[in-house]
Amino acid sequence: MIPNRDFYTGLVATAFFALVLFVLIPVYVRVPSFIPGFAPPPDMWPRVIGWVGLVMGVLALGLAVPKMRRRSSDQITSIGAYLYANRIFVYRFICMIIGFTAFVYLMPKIGFLTATIVLLAFLFIMTGDFSRKAWMIGLSIIFPIFLYVVFTEITHTPFPHGKWFSLARLLHLI
Amino acid sequence: MWNELLGAFAAVATLPNFIVMAAGIWGGVIIGAIPGMTGTMAVTLALPFTFYMPPVTSLLLLVALYKGSTYGGSISAILIKTPGTASAACTVLDGYPLAREGKGGKALNMALVSSCIGDFISNISLIFLAAPLAIFALRVGPPEYFMLMAFSLTIVASISGRSLLLGIVAACLGLLLATVGEDMYGSFRFAMTEDMKSGLGVVPVLIGLFALPEMLKLAVFRPEENTQAMKLGDNRLTMKEFRGSLKSIIRGSFIGVILGAIPGIGPSTAAFFSYSEARRTSKNGDRFGEGELEGIAASESANNGCCGATMIPLLALGVPGDVITGVMLGAFMIHGLTPGPLLFQNNIGEVYSLFIGMLFSSVFLFVAGKLTASGFAKISRIPQQLLLPCIVILCVFGIYSVASSPFDVAVLLVMGIVGFIMMVLNIPAAPFLIAFILGPMFEDNMRRSLAISRGDLGVFFQSWISWGFFALTILFVALTIRREWQKWRSNVRAAN
Repeated sequence: MIPNRDFYTGLVATAFFALVLFVLIPVYVRVPSFIPGFAPPPDMWPRVIGWVGLVMGVLALGLAVPKMRRRSSDQITSIGAYLYANRIFVYRFICMIIGFTAFVYLMPKIGFLTATIVLLAFLFIMTGDFSRKAWMIGLSIIFPIFLYVVFTEITHTPFPHGKWFSLARLLHLI
Repeated sequence: MWNELLGAFAAVATLPNFIVMAAGIWGGVIIGAIPGMTGTMAVTLALPFTFYMPPVTSLLLLVALYKGSTYGGSISAILIKTPGTASAACTVLDGYPLAREGKGGKALNMALVSSCIGDFISNISLIFLAAPLAIFALRVGPPEYFMLMAFSLTIVASISGRSLLLGIVAACLGLLLATVGEDMYGSFRFAMTEDMKSGLGVVPVLIGLFALPEMLKLAVFRPEENTQAMKLGDNRLTMKEFRGSLKSIIRGSFIGVILGAIPGIGPSTAAFFSYSEARRTSKNGDRFGEGELEGIAASESANNGCCGATMIPLLALGVPGDVITGVMLGAFMIHGLTPGPLLFQNNIGEVYSLFIGMLFSSVFLFVAGKLTASGFAKISRIPQQLLLPCIVILCVFGIYSVASSPFDVAVLLVMGIVGFIMMVLNIPAAPFLIAFILGPMFEDNMRRSLAISRGDLGVFFQSWISWGFFALTILFVALTIRREWQKWRSNVRAAN
């Protein structure tokens, strides 16, 4: 039998809800020593959801078994082999996560405007289509500045200036 | 009632409201016309901007975007054989062959006329059905509401994805995420950081889940762009052609109203059902799929016929029927309005203004479609490689402007990644989102019911309304399990 996509979906769901039930709820849901009236404790609802999710995950795993005997486009030999065969997708996905994390980390340091310019340029690069380079470069610079002006002038949003550097301050000076 | 309607008319018929509605219709058509962009995305992207508007104006903007995007989906369906939205999938079948014959303009005109008629009938149904349903809903207490929400979530979970199990898994994820933060008695749950103590905002979760995964999909899989747009060609829709399709338009509109009012079903199913009915009963049934105007009329009247009807359960019961009305529920809550029977008691002015505004937006849709069809046709050719990155940046600016919180921007990006993983694992996003929005109300009604009954679970089965929703839930689950069982058995047979 060869695992397929449904099997791994069931596996991920089971593992996630087991983690919630047996690790996250005991650690992160504090039950107060006194609860007024007959109100249910705060961990009751997350536990009910966790158990329903766990049962559904296990059922999804079980129901994926008959499909695993059949050849199909969803067939995956093993998770390692699947990831290796599709490593280029995995790399790109990891790049996107790194890009987003870097944006959140750098935003207070280089300022909101500069960070969004860099993020937009990064996203254009990640599309892998460089046939419209002039548009990409132009939009990377103009579009965030346009949005910055619109949001600061109309909604008066105080976007953060960078600790290291602030393009917005330069714009204000100009 | 008439005085209130006149007052609402006066409140809606102002220049700012007209500008907002026109912008919403145009924006919606533009977004709907771009393949890969959906009405949900249009409505969620506009959500941050509604913070700065009066409640009625902001709701009119969202409704206009919804209607515009539902019609906009037909433009790319007809001209580039790619439905802009899922509900326009049937329109491709006859629209594209017509465009190849040089009758793209005629097909677009038929789509516009049938969309507007469907939309108008849907709005009238909303006006006449929502209030009686709300009066009935006044008899509903916390246990009945709990059962109603369980019923709605079950329908959404079973219809949205390809399996009931994955739908329930998605709903559980949404319900769990909704528990983050402080509960109704002041206890903190899953508050791993200081920012999480106040819970996760509806807007960053919504936008992250629906706007960002498309960008991630483009960046990770890099699909080939292969679209060649047809010219508009013959533009005139004759009276004879219109009369020939009128029966299908009326039938499609009512199919849209009935299926749209049932939570979870939505415009795609309505369009397919209406199309198959029109094909079955039309004297030109054998020409369907080869360029028959009646096919476009049937599909477009049904999908726009859902637009007003999906608001019926939202306004009368406070239960969103699909993702877009789920987003609108978020917008209502942002402005301090609580949809449900009490909305008709406490905010009747806003409700009537919304009704009047929806009728106006049908007219705006017709005018926008007539005046700028050729312009919209060009929009469907904007490359996604330029568009999607700009949308991400727009989301980032929009989310930051809501609460000036970097944490919300982080939530947006994380939810984008979660949405992408769900997409890859075939876990549907609609039950997740609706469960996330309904989660606090669902839990609140459950805990109130148990507090009233001193912990006795029998409270959920004390009235005929609760029993009715319970029976419907069981019936729906049984039918879905039967369907899944048949699928499972056919898989086993194929394996052997």
